[in-house]
Amino acid sequence: MRREDKIAAEIREKLKEKIITVEVSRERRIFAYIKTEALKESIKFLKDMGFKHLSTITGVDVEDGIELIYHLALDGSIEFSLKLKVQKDDPRVPTITDIIPGAVLYEREVHDMFGVNFEGHPDLSPLILPEKWPRNIYPLRKKYALERLRNLIFKEEDIE
Amino acid sequence: MRLETFKPSHSSIKRETSKFLVKADEQPMNLLKWARIKSPWILHFNTGGCNGCDIELLAAFTPRFDVERFGILLQGSPRHADILAVTGPVTLQVRERLVRIYEQMPEPKYVLAVGSCACSGAPFKDCYNVVGGVDKVLPVDVYVPGCPPKPEAIIDGIVKLIQKIEEEETYEKGR
Repeated sequence: MRREDKIAAEIREKLKEKIITVEVSRERRIFAYIKTEALKESIKFLKDMGFKHLSTITGVDVEDGIELIYHLALDGSIEFSLKLKVQKDDPRVPTITDIIPGAVLYEREVHDMFGVNFEGHPDLSPLILPEKWPRNIYPLRKKYALERLRNLIFKEEDIE
Repeated sequence: MRLETFKPSHSSIKRETSKFLVKADEQPMNLLKWARIKSPWILHFNTGGCNGCDIELLAAFTPRFDVERFGILLQGSPRHADILAVTGPVTLQVRERLVRIYEQMPEPKYVLAVGSCACSGAPFKDCYNVVGGVDKVLPVDVYVPGCPPKPEAIIDGIVKLIQKIEEEETYEKGR
């Protein structure tokens, strides 16, 4: 039995019905789809297992919500992508900064780009967007076509 | 090819010195302008580029290309610079800083747009956080296209700007 299959079996056993799918797509690569409420539990479990390095957190605007992907690495060998979906109208997810402190900046970036609220995060002020960016516009959401987004941003302070 | 064709011509040097040999019916060349042509000091500013143009611009200032022969010198402060060399597309965040740096430069001042991004915004044009090329914010004198432009192209751009300064009589800067 490969180490990847073992990890996949372990996490399936741990989370039981809170896990939707686990897939070992190829060597050294695992994808898992979980329910939102199981996030902290599974991150803690994976960290204890050895996935101490959080590479990044990415977001994708899918049709029926925002998909968050937590990319974790085990000693530089196995990549684990933990996926979950949040609602678009009120995107809320618990923070993992108390488990992995390095997630502070990644969560701020996702908050900037998608407007996901990480509950319990110490400071969700804008990180990479310009200073004068309007508060409730999130550039990577698909509902903003590029022209409309530019019209919203460059309305008042457009080039004279 | 005969050897005579390789003989260096001193006519250019003669022409230069003759500018100060004032004839009765001729105006002397403005001394300030002469000094300006002989020492164009450059300030380099990146407005959000990928550093490709920065590397080429700095390579152009290495002894290999010997831009000191034109009097070109890289400056660290806008207060000492004549030419503002801008690389990268102008982002929303950097726009005000760019204007502030331009306003700190003493008159007369010139702007050199280095690279495709600084010329027009290139692939980042119409991006949600990009204003566009430098000409959307500042009056640009010389455009150097390329991604990135070669050091030779950048030097050519600066020399063209020097020629422009040389030719200008009552050149009014402004938008």
